[in-house]
Amino acid sequence: MSDRSRVAITGLGCICSLGQGVKQCGEALFQKRRLPAVPALFKSSLPIPYPVFEVKASLPDTSPGAKFGLTRTSALALVAADEALRDAGLLPYDPTLRLRIGVIVGTTIGSMFNNLTFYKGFANGRHPEPTPVLRFLSNNPAALIARRYGFSGPCQTIGNACASGTDAIGIGASWISSNLCDIVVAGGADELSRVTYNGFTSLMVTDDQPCRPFDRERKGLNLGEGAAFLILQPVGSKKEGMPRIKGYIAGYGAACDAYHLTAPSPEGLGLRNAIGQALAVSGRSPNSISFINAHGTGTQDNDKMESKVLHDLLPGVPFLSTKGFTGHTLGAAGAIEAVLTVVSLWEKRIPPSPGFVLPDPDLPAIPAREAQKVSGGVALSESIAFGGHNSVIVVEAP
Amino acid sequence: MNRPRIAIDGIGVVGGFGSGVEQLEAALHNANPVPSRVVVQTDSGTDELSLYRADTSRLEEFFQKRELRRIDHYARMALLAASMALKDAGPGPAESLSTGVIVATGYGPHRTTFSFLDSFINAGDSYSSPTQFASSVHNAAAAYLSILLRQKGPSLTVSQFDMSVTSALLTAACWLKEGRVDRILFGVVDEYSDVLGYSWYRLFGKEAAPEAMRPLDFESQTAIPGEGSCFFTLSPAKDSAKAKYAYMDQIFSGFPSSVEEVLPSGAYAIVASDGRRDTGRFYAEIVRKLTDVSCFSPLYGSMPVGQAYDIAIAAIRKDEKPIFCVKCSNTGELGLVSVRRD
Repeated sequence: MSDRSRVAITGLGCICSLGQGVKQCGEALFQKRRLPAVPALFKSSLPIPYPVFEVKASLPDTSPGAKFGLTRTSALALVAADEALRDAGLLPYDPTLRLRIGVIVGTTIGSMFNNLTFYKGFANGRHPEPTPVLRFLSNNPAALIARRYGFSGPCQTIGNACASGTDAIGIGASWISSNLCDIVVAGGADELSRVTYNGFTSLMVTDDQPCRPFDRERKGLNLGEGAAFLILQPVGSKKEGMPRIKGYIAGYGAACDAYHLTAPSPEGLGLRNAIGQALAVSGRSPNSISFINAHGTGTQDNDKMESKVLHDLLPGVPFLSTKGFTGHTLGAAGAIEAVLTVVSLWEKRIPPSPGFVLPDPDLPAIPAREAQKVSGGVALSESIAFGGHNSVIVVEAP
Repeated sequence: MNRPRIAIDGIGVVGGFGSGVEQLEAALHNANPVPSRVVVQTDSGTDELSLYRADTSRLEEFFQKRELRRIDHYARMALLAASMALKDAGPGPAESLSTGVIVATGYGPHRTTFSFLDSFINAGDSYSSPTQFASSVHNAAAAYLSILLRQKGPSLTVSQFDMSVTSALLTAACWLKEGRVDRILFGVVDEYSDVLGYSWYRLFGKEAAPEAMRPLDFESQTAIPGEGSCFFTLSPAKDSAKAKYAYMDQIFSGFPSSVEEVLPSGAYAIVASDGRRDTGRFYAEIVRKLTDVSCFSPLYGSMPVGQAYDIAIAAIRKDEKPIFCVKCSNTGELGLVSVRRD
């Protein structure tokens, strides 16, 4: 990627189980706080409780932008987007400025209609009121954020499963470098739900203990929830009020395995291609990478494949999976991990990869065991999704 | 305003009018297709709705039956339209990494989502179906496309209700402009389900089942739901080769400061008005400013991604003048694509 297409990060917002706000999340990250627990948001009849990472902060329950009420995903999105926009000095926003502000949100639950109360009523012939349908239709995450602040640019809600948040940021950078927008609000949001809890459990990829990415004893992922947003602007923007630059998106790569709906290609062909593309676009070489925020779900197949790819393409580069702190937040994961990557670049250090204790002889590369200083100012953040989709962004320190 | 120049090299369609470009062309010259009738739950028992239903039986021209095992109706529609678009375009880039897949959908694979809910809602959480869950994610259709068509480039699924088509096209234009890919298999898909039918009935009451769609009667609710898929193969315009069909050279998605900003007076437009009263006033405002307007939604029905069929129709017609394909949301967003022969 040339200088023309390197994109500035001018604001950050984050809410997840680590806390509310980038500062609190960053502090908790380096305090190695990790608080998985049995779900409190919903009841489950599964015989084994699987821990999750819930957001404990109180969320807004009303919004002028959502006549039929906010979904939890939307509430999480608004909290994080608000923080990011304030951080960039864009609030209060004056719509008469007519800036071309786009909004891109990655999500899974936020774009699915799966209201259990409504559906159970329908399935059992009880003729439920259609209010949940109207709530779904008024809660498209990207449109909701745009409506809330009076933004008039394009909106895009991305449903690329677990890579949605990373793709939202990569595509947001494209919208800036293609001069489609002056500013892009890019990120992801997803709530914990009984639907995804049952789904991942049925696939037998959830751990009944706190998750252990890359560990020999790993049994799967823990679900989480949250939202994070980055404000993206052109480098050297002459727009008035250009705030302090917090970092850069220097490259984005995405590629498919074309292999299986739920299992990654064992050789990680799509991830290799995505990393290669992201590095090529950024003009960075593997030895310039300070660290990698890996996808690292804690599932057998993912971690084995990802370790092999990192060993081959980025040998010796420290890596970790922050999912041990946040759980797997699905469509929000890539965005939350991008924020935590920026924070780690600011701090010039990474925490130990949470949950990793015992090396797995089948994994050629192992994650950071201890907190460590990192040199340089460039990191990768990776996401791998259902459908064999892989996406990678190159994040640079300011 | 985004002003790319994108060649449309292949088209594949399936919807209430049939499947394939030839059946879409035939539908343009014949009487509107007659919708099917489907039974819906109501407060007092059952009733019937009209539906523009999509038939995917031609999919067996492209795939073995065993390859389609476990693939739901939603992904089948996308596979059929995408396969026809690729065949129509002829050979593409030799490198499978050079083709991107972009799918736009209003509601995603909700029929499979509800099947997944069925698996545990009464029997208990332990009975949740992993197969249904895996196919209920929004990018399931894009995933099947990349797996079965062996495309290894980037993949994107966009769900932006009425703005899905133009929102996704903006990213397609960026990818082509950046040189990220040489070709994009771009398409839309939306399906009908019993829940959609029930919701339709509850929301529109006595107006839920009109005799026929009257999409230019902007004050009336005359929508008939549709389902289907429409795909294009897109590539950057080249001086050395002419597009098989046409070019897209203007894409807009959002709130314009005025309609004139994006739609010149005197332009010819195909409006995607589809009999929904909640969007009627926005279309009325646009149509008032134009002298030449067509609407083809009675060929494919009411669906969030219906605008893609209008783009296909504009590309097939090869008019001398540019054709502006226009979609409005119920909050006044405008999605616009101009299609030119040269």
